[in-house]
Amino acid sequence: MGRVHSKAFQEMEGVRLIGVAEPDPQRRAQAEQDLGVDTFAGAQDLLGIEALDLVDICVPTYLHSAVFQEALKARKHIFCEKPLARTWEEGEQILDLARGYPGKIGIGHVVRFMPQYLGIRNSVLAGEIGQAAVVRTFRGGARFPRGWQDWFSDFELSGGVILDLTIHDLDYLRWLFGEVERVYAKTTRERSPARLEYALIILRFKNGVIAHVEGSWANYEGDFYTKVEIAGNRGLINYDSREANPLIRFSAENNSAAAVAVPENPALKSPYFLELEDMIKAIREDRPPAVSAAEALASLKVALAAIKSAQTGQVITL
Amino acid sequence: MVRIGFLSIAHLHASSYGRALKKLPQAELVGIYDPDQKRGRAGAKTMQTKYFSQAEALLEKVDGVIVCSENSRHRDFTELAAAHGKDVLCEKPIATTLEDAQAMITACQEGGVRLQIAFPVRFNTPVRRLKEIVDAGAIGDILAIRGTNRGRMPGGWFVDPQLSGGGAVLDHTVHVVDLLRWFLNREFTSAYAEIDSLLYNLGIDDCGLLSLEMEGGIFVTQDPSWSRPATFPTWGDVTLKMVGSAGQLYLDAFAQNFLVYNDQENKVMEQSFAEDMDLGLIQDFVEMVASGRQASISGYDGLQALKVALAAYESARVKRPVAIS
Repeated sequence: MGRVHSKAFQEMEGVRLIGVAEPDPQRRAQAEQDLGVDTFAGAQDLLGIEALDLVDICVPTYLHSAVFQEALKARKHIFCEKPLARTWEEGEQILDLARGYPGKIGIGHVVRFMPQYLGIRNSVLAGEIGQAAVVRTFRGGARFPRGWQDWFSDFELSGGVILDLTIHDLDYLRWLFGEVERVYAKTTRERSPARLEYALIILRFKNGVIAHVEGSWANYEGDFYTKVEIAGNRGLINYDSREANPLIRFSAENNSAAAVAVPENPALKSPYFLELEDMIKAIREDRPPAVSAAEALASLKVALAAIKSAQTGQVITL
Repeated sequence: MVRIGFLSIAHLHASSYGRALKKLPQAELVGIYDPDQKRGRAGAKTMQTKYFSQAEALLEKVDGVIVCSENSRHRDFTELAAAHGKDVLCEKPIATTLEDAQAMITACQEGGVRLQIAFPVRFNTPVRRLKEIVDAGAIGDILAIRGTNRGRMPGGWFVDPQLSGGGAVLDHTVHVVDLLRWFLNREFTSAYAEIDSLLYNLGIDDCGLLSLEMEGGIFVTQDPSWSRPATFPTWGDVTLKMVGSAGQLYLDAFAQNFLVYNDQENKVMEQSFAEDMDLGLIQDFVEMVASGRQASISGYDGLQALKVALAAYESARVKRPVAIS
């Protein structure tokens, strides 16, 4: 994600990417080559730079808390990739330390910046389907992504599919429907083959809405895709990312009749650009960023409750 | 010739079953008994058969009966047929209480007749093909299943709890539960459910989300909601996604359709080109009546599916997962 964010900053007017901190020498060399900026082996070296206004934390989830604390000490504005932290205690600690903090803090729940998700939310809030009642979401891809030292597929480090991936939908649904009352969840984590996990979560929101949230790093069809369906008492909204691709390219190799489909959904501004642009504007306009640490903590709470429910077999009331 | 009669045609499926009987050369639709004379006579006219004002008079002339009454009356009609020594095809769900379901099974045993439950989706051709694929072990160990059986709000007696015994959850849980018991030859062991009346405010559940567990730890979610709006291009769906240790299976049982954009009626509708599953069900029942074999879908199958739906209601009441015995 660090690469995506770096490119977005470099495209942004009035923003200069000063440098990248990265402990891995190979990745550091790669970043220097791709981005043409200074790199540093440790976060402290970067945070010590006087001219630095904003630090963007794109380390693996289990390191969020430690790096966040360093950034807070350096008194920089902070943007941090979701989820806020790996555990509830770490998340709460960040909130504690950030109380009264003079800088801006924003969390990268990027789905809130995706135009289709924004549009669906606006339709629901405008009453186009009446009162929302039954919600279904899907988000998934083939396997856990290959991260640094394969940290995604280590539950202790990433929190598995629910904390790393499904939290996108949990946060989105909270943004749309408010707080969650109860969570009941199941996951294949203990039983599925390595690098696969499939989770099915049922939520009851305080406003009465019920939701079925499906997360998968076990998609045998390969492609990553997402779905949203919201049934209301006066209508229905249906979105499937596979059916919303304006471009699909098939490039045959070696004269083969079968080619791999490469769908594209081009936009002038990617959701990643938009979330970071919002962060920059928040600093310039001295206003809160779109997703606060408190918001991210509330979404983390739902994700951790789902994990706990799956582990204990019990319903978790929040 | 196998002679068949209807004991009540309150359930919409009766007309489709009637058409199926007409297509089967070895079957004869003798007539319809319905306590609602108006409905019975209208149905008899449509199906080109006779209306009987007395159930007993019809029972004397048939080899087997199809019970398409309101759910809460299944027991009375089944017991009556059993007392007359006639085989029964009973619309799903088998009954509205476990006590009624058990009494129906017992009555049929004592009457020496066979009780079949109408789970027509077992005769959907893509479903039968899916069973072959599952039986062949194509996706390794099955870990999790996501099912839906959503529909439009059916109205009529379906939304009267006295007659239906329950709304969307009872109406639409038993199909998927029956399919999975049949595919996997395992029973359901626990149920969690969120159930509510959020869509139509008719004093009966119209939506729900179930999280179930089967023997061996397979978990299953099921969405039985009446969440298809009036403008939806079809009545509803039966879908399954099965996630295995070595693959994945998708079923969309009614995907064999094309879209019709009809300006004259100002609507968009799916038009099916699937084989007729109701014909498969009725043919199976007629063959059973003619032969000495047991029912392919038994009263016990009906009872086991009902247990899961009732456990879901209990779970929603107590707000925690409940065990299914």
